[in-house]
Amino acid sequence: VAGGTGAGGNDVQWCFSQVKGAIDDDVAEADIISTVEFNHSGELLATGDKGGRVVIFQQETENKCQPLSRSEYNVYSTFQSHEPEFDYLKSLEIEEKINKIRWLPQKNAAQFLLSTNDKTIKLWKISERDKRPEGYNLKEEDGRYRDSTTITTLRVPVFRPMDLMVEASPRRIFANAHTYHINSISVNSDNETYLSADDLRINLWHLEITDRSFNIVDIKPANMEDLTEVITAAEFHPHQCNTFVYSSSKGTIRLCDMRASALCDRHSKLFEEPEDPSNRSFFSEIISSISDVKFSHSGRYMMTRDYLSVKIWDLNMENRPVETYQVHEYLRSKLCSLYENDCIFDKFECCWNGNDSVVMTGSYNNFFRMLDRSQRRDVTLEASRESSKPRQVLKPRRVCAGGKRKKDEISVDSLDFNKKILHTAWHPQENIIAVATTNNLYIFQEKVN
Amino acid sequence: MGQRDVLSCEVSMRRNSAVRASMCRLDVESAVKEVGQSIGDVLSSPRYVLGRGVKRKLVDCEDPVPDLPYPLQRQLVMDLCLDKLQSCHRRSEPSLHRSVLLANTLRQLQQEMRQEGGGLSPTLAAACPAHAAPATPRHTPDLPPVPSDCVLAEEALPSLTSCHDLIFGSFEITNSTSYLTDLAPDDIFDDIDTSMYDPSDFSVLAFPSLRVGSGAPSTNGEEGLKTFSSCSPSSALQHRLSDLNDLDQIMEILVRS
Repeated sequence: VAGGTGAGGNDVQWCFSQVKGAIDDDVAEADIISTVEFNHSGELLATGDKGGRVVIFQQETENKCQPLSRSEYNVYSTFQSHEPEFDYLKSLEIEEKINKIRWLPQKNAAQFLLSTNDKTIKLWKISERDKRPEGYNLKEEDGRYRDSTTITTLRVPVFRPMDLMVEASPRRIFANAHTYHINSISVNSDNETYLSADDLRINLWHLEITDRSFNIVDIKPANMEDLTEVITAAEFHPHQCNTFVYSSSKGTIRLCDMRASALCDRHSKLFEEPEDPSNRSFFSEIISSISDVKFSHSGRYMMTRDYLSVKIWDLNMENRPVETYQVHEYLRSKLCSLYENDCIFDKFECCWNGNDSVVMTGSYNNFFRMLDRSQRRDVTLEASRESSKPRQVLKPRRVCAGGKRKKDEISVDSLDFNKKILHTAWHPQENIIAVATTNNLYIFQEKVN
Repeated sequence: MGQRDVLSCEVSMRRNSAVRASMCRLDVESAVKEVGQSIGDVLSSPRYVLGRGVKRKLVDCEDPVPDLPYPLQRQLVMDLCLDKLQSCHRRSEPSLHRSVLLANTLRQLQQEMRQEGGGLSPTLAAACPAHAAPATPRHTPDLPPVPSDCVLAEEALPSLTSCHDLIFGSFEITNSTSYLTDLAPDDIFDDIDTSMYDPSDFSVLAFPSLRVGSGAPSTNGEEGLKTFSSCSPSSALQHRLSDLNDLDQIMEILVRS
């Protein structure tokens, strides 16, 4: 990585800001973070975990006048979104793990988000209460009713301030529409509908209607014996409310236009890169499976993540990506081991920064990668307790693939494959990132001089 | 078994600590760290005999592993694939995505081997995932013992596709409460064969012996029909068969004389 002095605006140095979660190494399974998402303003940061809980952090700006002032995220609301259920017919437990959280754009004082587990999507309203009415005519302050004979005057109750209370209440429950495990939800730009995708089907919902959903994609074969491909992720276009994409386990992305037909089984565009024959292995198909797809904020590009790489696609060009970045190419020679210990099936997510110039994705050993598209530079950083002094600048990490290991490098065989960063999120406007290790949430910010 | 010993592959997984890349022999090895025993890992079941759980010291000579010939590499991957497919049902989080990828990989390897026209591994046939029970009730499938000198003809290879239904069919999440309400009452009983209960087939003579359950003597033909219909199909069939047997015996006696 070419050295950056940090003087210019392009070379961002990342500093530790905060870490949330338990310190000890013994991770309670319920605390495993399963999704991270900023809301549209970046003021709120939501996490979901394996125990079905949602924790929302709110940004407190010390000094709202200075845009680059140090801001901290503190707990705003915690609630139990999903509970484990039991499918009696199949004798299977339906996990309460939150697979995805998506925020709705804010329309009034309250905040709304969608959270989903394998089977059920819920719309939650998060609202603040910081005033309460006082001075009732018929009730005492503690709620007891007054003796009516003592009431001689009338008064209008007034609102007085109280300690802030944040309440989360489920407003809609969208259930029974998915036979297979839900992997994605995406709110449409029309702010009225959203899609939910499972392994074989994608459904379209209206946010107000819970007893009906439209099936818009169905790739289930008539004969399950013929099943060779599943849906891995889906997302609506950020501006065109008729357009969405879904990715598959075979490394393809299909763009569909809902104006074309009610059932979008036939894609409008098919994005697929021919396989590089020199990289062919037993595991080619497995590592080509796309684990995440994200549109750029501009809507012109989309990014896909497969096991070893991140690809940027121009929506106008289907036959190959316009950019390809290797996330951890040193793992290519280790694929059999990773297959054996199941790490090859890990699903990494990816995200764009606010102006689509940098993309980020996670890796093993609590490493994460920042890939600068404009500068054609990349850096590997680590989320660790050792580098978590306040405002400590993160040092770039290097992995030694083979041969002589230099100082400060870590060899491939020393990587900890239990420490994986699957979920990351980038503030929509500022250089603030949230990186989830197994059970901790790290928040890093751009170094402020 | 000898073939499997060669392909010893250790997974190093230590509880509460790092999961290192295991020393799979197909991987290029730069340095070997200590190898520990896998704990609580499905792959460490007694069935899985690829040298798992062998504790080796870092110090003891680790010669650079020679590259295995391609067919052995392929065999290793195939064995792993089968094992993972079979363990799918025993996982706490069954994943259709994972199963599909494994099945595709297996199919691809099978195709490759078919094209080469070589002998197929006995383990492939023996470990067909069809032995794995669907979700309920679950049991651990037992692999039949591996024949020592088994060479299977291609036709004998059980089709992977016949196992798919069992693998993929158990991933559906059904909603228990809506399962029955979704079906029209007639649909539920569609596949029950009611041809045995066609009243016109009955002979009057059969009635007296078929009075079961109710106990009350039946004078009315219709009641007798109802009584008959309460019998299980198998008992009615057995009765008919015994009638036929009697007839056969009588015929034999007649013919012999």
